[in-house]
Amino acid sequence: MITGTAITKTFKQRGNVLGKREVPALRGVDFAIPKGGAVSFIGESGCGKTTLGRIIAGLETYDSGEIVIDGTPMSSLTHRNRQPYYRRIQLIHQDPYSALNPTRTIHQTLEAPLRLRARQTGRSKAWCDVRAEELLDLVGIDPGYVLPRYPHQLSGGMRQRVVIARALTMDPEMLVADEAVSMIDVSLRLGILGLLRDLRERLGVSVLFITHDIATARYVGDEGELYVIYRGQVVERGPTETIIADPVHPYTQSLLSAIPVLHGLERPGAEQVVPTEALDEGQTDEGCLFSRRCPFSTARCESERPVLGHDGGESGEATVQLHACFHPRRRSVIPQGVGA
Amino acid sequence: MTVTVIPEMTAGTTRATLRRNFWRGVWRVLCRKPSRMAGVVIVLGFAVMGVIGPLLYPANLPRDDNALYAPPSLQHLFGTDFEGTDVLALVITGARYVLLTGLATAVITVALGTAIGLFAGFRRGRWDSALMRLTDLNLAIPGLPLLLVLSTVWKFTSPIEMGLVLGLLGWGGVARAVRSQTLSLRERGFIEAARGLGLPTRHIIGRELLPSMAPYIAMNMLIAVTGAVYAQVGLFFLGVLPFDANNWGVMLNLAVFSGGALTTPAALPYLLAPLLAILLLTLGIVLIVDAMDEIFNPRLREE
Amino acid sequence: MTRDSAAPEVRVRDLTVVYKTPAGELPAVSGVSLTLTPGTITGVVGESGSGKSTLALSLLNAVQPPGRIAAGSVEIDGLGDVLHLGGEDLRRTRGRKVGYVFQAAQSSLNPLKTVGKQLLDLGRSHDVADLRALVADAKALLARMGLDGARVLDSHQHELSGGMRQRVGIMLALVLNAQVVVLDEPTTALDMITQATILRIIREVHEERALTTLVITHDVGAVAEVADDLAVMYGGRVVEHGPIAEVLGTPRHPYTQGLIRAIPRLSGDISLARALPGRPPTLGTLPVAGCVFRERCDKRMEICETVEPETVTYDGRTVACHAAGRPAPVKRREYA
Repeated sequence: MITGTAITKTFKQRGNVLGKREVPALRGVDFAIPKGGAVSFIGESGCGKTTLGRIIAGLETYDSGEIVIDGTPMSSLTHRNRQPYYRRIQLIHQDPYSALNPTRTIHQTLEAPLRLRARQTGRSKAWCDVRAEELLDLVGIDPGYVLPRYPHQLSGGMRQRVVIARALTMDPEMLVADEAVSMIDVSLRLGILGLLRDLRERLGVSVLFITHDIATARYVGDEGELYVIYRGQVVERGPTETIIADPVHPYTQSLLSAIPVLHGLERPGAEQVVPTEALDEGQTDEGCLFSRRCPFSTARCESERPVLGHDGGESGEATVQLHACFHPRRRSVIPQGVGA
Repeated sequence: MTVTVIPEMTAGTTRATLRRNFWRGVWRVLCRKPSRMAGVVIVLGFAVMGVIGPLLYPANLPRDDNALYAPPSLQHLFGTDFEGTDVLALVITGARYVLLTGLATAVITVALGTAIGLFAGFRRGRWDSALMRLTDLNLAIPGLPLLLVLSTVWKFTSPIEMGLVLGLLGWGGVARAVRSQTLSLRERGFIEAARGLGLPTRHIIGRELLPSMAPYIAMNMLIAVTGAVYAQVGLFFLGVLPFDANNWGVMLNLAVFSGGALTTPAALPYLLAPLLAILLLTLGIVLIVDAMDEIFNPRLREE
Repeated sequence: MTRDSAAPEVRVRDLTVVYKTPAGELPAVSGVSLTLTPGTITGVVGESGSGKSTLALSLLNAVQPPGRIAAGSVEIDGLGDVLHLGGEDLRRTRGRKVGYVFQAAQSSLNPLKTVGKQLLDLGRSHDVADLRALVADAKALLARMGLDGARVLDSHQHELSGGMRQRVGIMLALVLNAQVVVLDEPTTALDMITQATILRIIREVHEERALTTLVITHDVGAVAEVADDLAVMYGGRVVEHGPIAEVLGTPRHPYTQGLIRAIPRLSGDISLARALPGRPPTLGTLPVAGCVFRERCDKRMEICETVEPETVTYDGRTVACHAAGRPAPVKRREYA
């Protein structure tokens, strides 16, 4: 179980003589990733979802807030003592082409972490070779074919499977998959997504899936949780299927409205939400972060920032769906299959 | 569009197999262009010259008093010098000092430059700033004037001494370049993955970073050799160093200033022979440099 | 602005493009015939190595070595066979008649020059007499796409967002009144909302200017949103071609069926989505004889091993498959 409370992070960009420009990447984000669970972060590029994923994987520092892994607050530990915790959270990179060292064979790539793991667990060197084959089998590639090869001799899909196998060498509790299929051929994508789903079911590994493509998040964990992140703030959060079928935040709705309709198989949703401004035109730090692009924005939205919570829902009943909007309303925006 | 022709591979992936595959790949890369083979032959030729050359001739080369500044003939392929010594013999026996200096310089330049550049780029922050200021300092040293001053107190009788000085003066550029390579490589996914897996820094630098920079380092090393050859030949030519050792630079100096090779055709072969040797060595090295990228990049090597 | 009202037709016939490799010349595109109906948007979908980008470059006769157009013709109304054009004629054609928006248009702008300067360079190289009018046209086009023309023309590449650069790419392709436009991966690397905006703009500009448009992409969704016709490429061949709703609704080629099944959707039972087995072929692994798709095909028959299926056209749709006569196993209900 990994939880985070009020995580903030500000990047300092090189500015002019007057000082550095500060760009808030995360503005107090809470999250909880249960053991064996599936959580997805959704948002446009630059929304902070990748930064948050890297923070969770221990590859980036954060300014304030607290991350608790299995009951241990990370702030109570020295940098060195945190390492064993973060080793159990492995990041799967977006780009399987740069994630593998081109000068090393797959055997060498897997051997190094396995040797380390063998030392940690008091196993022999012979175990490493057996385990390497086991892991490649697990991710669905033929060890005999892959082991002696260099990364350039493998397809993108195979490389991503090797990357996942390498992450599994540390017997991780959680995999952080950052846009893990965006650079892979369409016909092979589902295989990788299915693998992540399988690993969760078979090994109990929890998966944090970071993407801009909501449909893929649905495939990895339709019973999991979805976080919609906009400019460093979680604007809507809840069970994946609920958020997709019944989004209440206009930003979630505009993301879902933007998903292409497969004409002939689907018809567009009943309502469509289109932002009034482009992302870079509609930046405001006052009030609701989305207010300038929101078609339903009111005077209150421009002066006051809504926080993530249950209040304001039209039904008023307790729900697991959280949102940060003053005017939440369910809209049916996703495409529906045509024979329904 | 790329086509990968996957070579025959067995399941064995032991170190020995990998090494054998590597050298087979190197051979394939060299065979790909005849120019590379020519480069290898030239450089190997000079290496042989440097190792066994001085053994072929007596310690004091025979003089032929009847043939001072003799024109090229079958007996003296490049003629003779002012004392009647065979010019070819001089070039061959002089190769060792030149090559040893070049080698020493290259090793020191690359070792220092790579170590400092890697450390600065990998650690970043304070170490980076400090080491880069040191590098700036090194780059700012006026090499030639310093050498001129140094040579008044130091005789450089051993080529290693010469190489040491040239190496200590020349590592700045390599350090700079290696640092920037490290900075860009450490952002690559595989380095980050290695850190995420908790692999030791030793492994990350030695096994992940260095091999990726190998073509670059090897190229710099080869180029450092040519640089060192020029530098020392230049010093000897200028006559700032005593003529203790037989050396191509000394030959050039004597040919120009004593033999008047620029005005009298008789001394011309004496001038041209060492020049030709330098030219040939440089050419050989340049031809090999071309292959470095393909040798150390498995994709290009195996294709 | 003078503009022919009728959009031109583009006819690709038996096009074969080969690439020189260590293993000899291998076909990236082999025997492709494709007609772009005037005034329509045709989408070409395919994975890496399907030959879709090579096909797009052939429309401009711009295949670079080690590639070579080995056979076939590309006829564009009013131009004749593009493959027979050369030198100056060819250069004039590009941009004037056929506009091309490059893959990753986001990075195909010169980082050292403002967009305006690049526009003027384009105008001069095509001997545009009235550069003022050209700039005015460009501003109008940019305004049409929802941008402040004057500001964009004064900007350098790094000052523009991905979606803005893509629009600049479209502007540069259209500003010389090209009537055939090729967009190579127009929405790759763009966010969902920006992608939707760009796709809408492509559709609208296409209709307003009476263009014949070709959209090359790996993303079936992006194409489904804009195209009238869909051509599916695999292993250098067009395996299926027809009106988009029909191809997506009742795909006839097993590859199209598999591809559509492999797209996770937002509604319906997600567990019905299936990955395609195997992996896309590369130039080196393409089978020499028989059907290129047979190794990943669930309807493989004996004949597929030896005989390459012919392209058959019936009721307005073409398909190249020995098994295509049978009822399609992908039922619409799966996504219902």
